[in-house]
Amino acid sequence: MNDNCLDIGTIQAFMDGELPHEAVLRVSGHIALCDACAISLAMAEDESAVVFPALAREFDTLVPTKRLWNKINDSIEIERESRPFWQKIYAAVVAALASPSFAAAASLLIVFGIFATFWMNKTTVPMADIASGSRSQPTTAVVDPQQPRAADSVANTDEPDAPPVSEYHVERASFKVEPRRIAPAVATNASYTSAGYLPGEQSYVKTISTLAKSVDEQKESGVMGASERISYERDMAVVDDSIKKMKQEVRRNPRNDAAKQVLYASYQNKIDLLNSVSQKEEFLVSLR
Amino acid sequence: MAAIFALAAAFAVSGQGAKTPPPPRPGSSVPAVPPYRPMPVDTTEKSIAVDGSVSISLCVTQGRLKVNGWNRSEVRVYVERGSKIAFNIRDKAVQSGQPNWIAIISTDPRPRGECLVAEQIEIDVPIRAKVSVKGTEVRVSIDSVREAEVSTVGGEISIRNIAGRVSALNRQGGITVESSMGAMSLESTSGNIVVFDVGPGEIGDHFRAKTHGGTISLQTLQHRQVEVGTITGTVVYNGPLRSGGSYNINTNKGAIRLALPANTSALIQATYSSGNFVSELPLKLEMENISEGPIKSIVGRIGTGGDAFVKLTTNNGSISIKKQ
Repeated sequence: MNDNCLDIGTIQAFMDGELPHEAVLRVSGHIALCDACAISLAMAEDESAVVFPALAREFDTLVPTKRLWNKINDSIEIERESRPFWQKIYAAVVAALASPSFAAAASLLIVFGIFATFWMNKTTVPMADIASGSRSQPTTAVVDPQQPRAADSVANTDEPDAPPVSEYHVERASFKVEPRRIAPAVATNASYTSAGYLPGEQSYVKTISTLAKSVDEQKESGVMGASERISYERDMAVVDDSIKKMKQEVRRNPRNDAAKQVLYASYQNKIDLLNSVSQKEEFLVSLR
Repeated sequence: MAAIFALAAAFAVSGQGAKTPPPPRPGSSVPAVPPYRPMPVDTTEKSIAVDGSVSISLCVTQGRLKVNGWNRSEVRVYVERGSKIAFNIRDKAVQSGQPNWIAIISTDPRPRGECLVAEQIEIDVPIRAKVSVKGTEVRVSIDSVREAEVSTVGGEISIRNIAGRVSALNRQGGITVESSMGAMSLESTSGNIVVFDVGPGEIGDHFRAKTHGGTISLQTLQHRQVEVGTITGTVVYNGPLRSGGSYNINTNKGAIRLALPANTSALIQATYSSGNFVSELPLKLEMENISEGPIKSIVGRIGTGGDAFVKLTTNNGSISIKKQ
């Protein structure tokens, strides 16, 4: 043995393959020339042969050595320095969320943010600001409850062909309409057809229009005598006045069922009145 | 003295003028006068054996018509100062072989065709007969037949003791129906309608009365389905309400007056505009809508237990319910 002989640690590291390449070459050369070191290596191998099977389970756990840990840490550090910026932020967030208290606080913040966004979108926006010059579709138009006079003026119009379209304010489609906020005039306009008639009213109007044409011709042909003509014109004036009043009332308050009944009865009376004239001529012809 | 002389002279001159019409001036053309057709002066009476359930139809242009039911299977027609008549047999009964559908027609060459013109026409028919009359200016009276169907332009229609069905349409005259049964449809343009002591012949027979400018007066109506309407007239109902009945009475410009027994039970729905609502019978209000606007509505119950429904509507008039 000389001063250059290997210590037991180096020999053990050689056996474990933990030496660098240069050290392995140096140790191998030395062992080949030094009997003492060769004997020491042999003895270490024998011990390993005895000890390793007994400690095989422990060795299978792959406990890294200190140097291996150093290598791992060095590799991690190098890789960390070479990562992009966003990955560093993501890693920081993931690391932060590992804490339960921080995760709970972050969740609350997210929920609050969503709610605030929804609330801000609920705010009424003037239609002119949304699309100037383009009228919104009536089905999506909702009169702003803060503008009741405007809604009433639309509902009170006497034009049957003018559907009550709100041209003042609309609300976003995502807005869930609360029933208590709907103006009554708009809600009741649903009882009118698209042509501005009540259900069934249009058929009355058409029938009357058809009958009136033929009756006007017959009146001029002298079917009716003077007294009969006076009675007819008087009754017709009464019926027309009744229809006019009831139409105004129904337009004012479409939920007035009594007014509707009177209106329909007046229409029927007018039809009967017109029929009485037209059927009279037919009857006279049948007698001849 | 001078005045008396002048009056006598004037009388003498006017009498001479009446006797001798002024001669036509020479050269002037006299328009052709249509031949004068006086009222027929003939009196005719004819009869024919018929089936008991015969259907009789006739048309009368002018005059008075009286139809009576009797217990014979025979139709007898008496025409006083009027058209000559004939029976037009349109169908015969299979079992009896007798005519079950006849038309009474005029044989006169008149522009009115088969329609009769007479001062008085009396017809006796089987009590189970159905009578259909059309006419212009005629006063019709039908008594004690199974069904009566009358349609005229003017005159008066009086119907009584009908067992089956009544249909009357008088455009410029009144209609009176009494002591009859069956479904009834009465309509007049400018005349009044008076009905008393009538009822349904079968379950479900309805009563309908409509006039434009006249008054409708109903007394002791037993129908359960009643529909009455007028435009510028008043409706008067006097009598009990049938349990389960449905009464719909409306007028555009007129009053509605009901006189009901004290024990009446019914649900009343009254709709009125410029008038008011008055009830002498205790009315338990179930709904009252006297809101701003021309229309007012009241729903209330009279009595207890009854389920008759009375709907009264007037656009310009009052509604009153009085105790009988």
